Amino acid sequence: MPFALKIDEVCHNFGDNQVLNHVNLKVGHGQFVALVGPSGCGKSTLLRAILGTHPPVGGNIYAHGTEITRPSCDVGIVYQHYSLYDFLTAQENVAFGPMLDQTNLWFRIFRFWDFFRMYRGWMEDARQLLNKLDLEKAINKFPADLSGGMKQRVAIAQAIIMKPKVLLLDEPFGALDESTREDLQVMLLQLYQENVRARDRGEMPPYTVVLVTHELNEAFYIADRVIGLSQYHGNGFPGATIVFDQPAPVFSPTAPRNFGIFFEQKELLRKVVFDEKYLPKGDEFVTFWNQYEKLHGIPADGVMPKSIGTVVDGPAITTIKE
Amino acid sequence: MIRKPISKVRWWAFSIAAMVVVVLLYSWMSYRQKEFNPKDTTIPNATQFLEGIETLTKPDVNGDMWLIMDLRATYGRHLAGMLVGVILSLVIGLAMGCYTDAEAIFKFQLTCLSKIPPTAMIAVYFVLFGTELNMYVAMISLGIFPTLAMAVYQAARKDVTHDAIYKAYTLGASDSEVVWNVVFKQIIPRFLEAIRLTVGPAMVFLIAAEWATADIGFGYRLRIQSRLLNMNVVYIYLVILALTSYLMDWSLAYARRKMCPWFGE
Repeated sequence: MPFALKIDEVCHNFGDNQVLNHVNLKVGHGQFVALVGPSGCGKSTLLRAILGTHPPVGGNIYAHGTEITRPSCDVGIVYQHYSLYDFLTAQENVAFGPMLDQTNLWFRIFRFWDFFRMYRGWMEDARQLLNKLDLEKAINKFPADLSGGMKQRVAIAQAIIMKPKVLLLDEPFGALDESTREDLQVMLLQLYQENVRARDRGEMPPYTVVLVTHELNEAFYIADRVIGLSQYHGNGFPGATIVFDQPAPVFSPTAPRNFGIFFEQKELLRKVVFDEKYLPKGDEFVTFWNQYEKLHGIPADGVMPKSIGTVVDGPAITTIKE
Repeated sequence: MIRKPISKVRWWAFSIAAMVVVVLLYSWMSYRQKEFNPKDTTIPNATQFLEGIETLTKPDVNGDMWLIMDLRATYGRHLAGMLVGVILSLVIGLAMGCYTDAEAIFKFQLTCLSKIPPTAMIAVYFVLFGTELNMYVAMISLGIFPTLAMAVYQAARKDVTHDAIYKAYTLGASDSEVVWNVVFKQIIPRFLEAIRLTVGPAMVFLIAAEWATADIGFGYRLRIQSRLLNMNVVYIYLVILALTSYLMDWSLAYARRKMCPWFGE
């Protein structure tokens, strides 16, 4: 089985300005990957390339083995500013995707009753998903009547109901207050737990996430793998590339938010990715797959069966050792 | 204090008082005028207004009433012109807002067309479309078209973010579904607001055209009766124009509130 996401020698430039160069990345099914980097390093460019709205000048990107050349249902997106449809209620926003995906304009007009029956089913699915995300009271409200946190939950529901191969989160909590942000971080950890349970049952984990964020604590707290994209490197070519790729601790939603666990790793990331004077060379800090293969061998099926980082589970802290 | 809110009672009291002042002022002016010249018709009194209503509703030799004939002619032309203009503007405006090719084709032409007063083009419409209904429909529809199409275009460009469009694609939408299910639905309230703003100008174009070329309709009647200084008929027509315009404006605002409750006030 192919990887959920594979980025192969991606390069991008705007005129003479080389933004991305030699970007290579493989993301297994069920991984939560955080992408961090200095301002202007090309995170958004890479995200748009993965989304398919702005294909790269060089290289290829594949979602579950299919090359991405334009936006499709394979890759879902949640933006910082929600981008919900103002004219639809929360429930309709979530049901909007299945409706667009499974019917077309002519079907909706000429087979109205079939469409109506299907639409009721999607609305019910949407209701259940919104309930799962603690949005029972928001179901019939328009986005203008929802708080920022509620809008972002609806946006996440809208994306995951489509079961995308890869879900992109573009600074999803950047516009939220601290408390709401923490609630939503826990919600993402709950989705990660669904991945863990699916793996335990021998099923394909349902959520593969690439999270772009400026918050380093958030990156290490939510993701099981942190990637640093930076233009500050000593690899001898212009543009940003991946200079940091390491496993991150895996927190359970009920575990205390003990950020001290990854303090040293965060400081290393800060130096390697954000320090203009420190220019890492080669794959010195790109060690995720090396460590993974040491533990589990090459994941030929692209599914990540176990975490290789620290697992922070409930109040107890355990470390998986080789 | 500036913009300090007031109670509803105070609001209505001021509105009614202002209306009463206008009526009293008019009555006083009419009374004074009658003292100088009892047969004066420039500032008609209540009796003269009743005579005006009788004139408008009295069947002529063919059994037709002026008021009904004029209402039918003017509002038939107005409605047909608005309908054609609205459809044309929606199609072109949406195309411009969604497709850069269409934007390149139409934007410059629309900008040029919007700078020419439609009433100045009566001769052009007269030559191209004759003097019948077609001319009035063309005049109104092409008169409101640049403004309305640009409003739709601007709304499609500014009210619908790139993110909303990209997301629609990730939800499985085709290009036509993005236009219909995302862009069109998002701009409906702005579109209805833009139509509200064009109802008045459309009527101005029509009255001007009827004034110049018609043999029936409000514009024609106003021209004839103004020449004869029959202000008791003129004022009644002006009141009808104001009331119907208000009714159309209110209907569109109501439709916007009902169709787009998410848009707010």
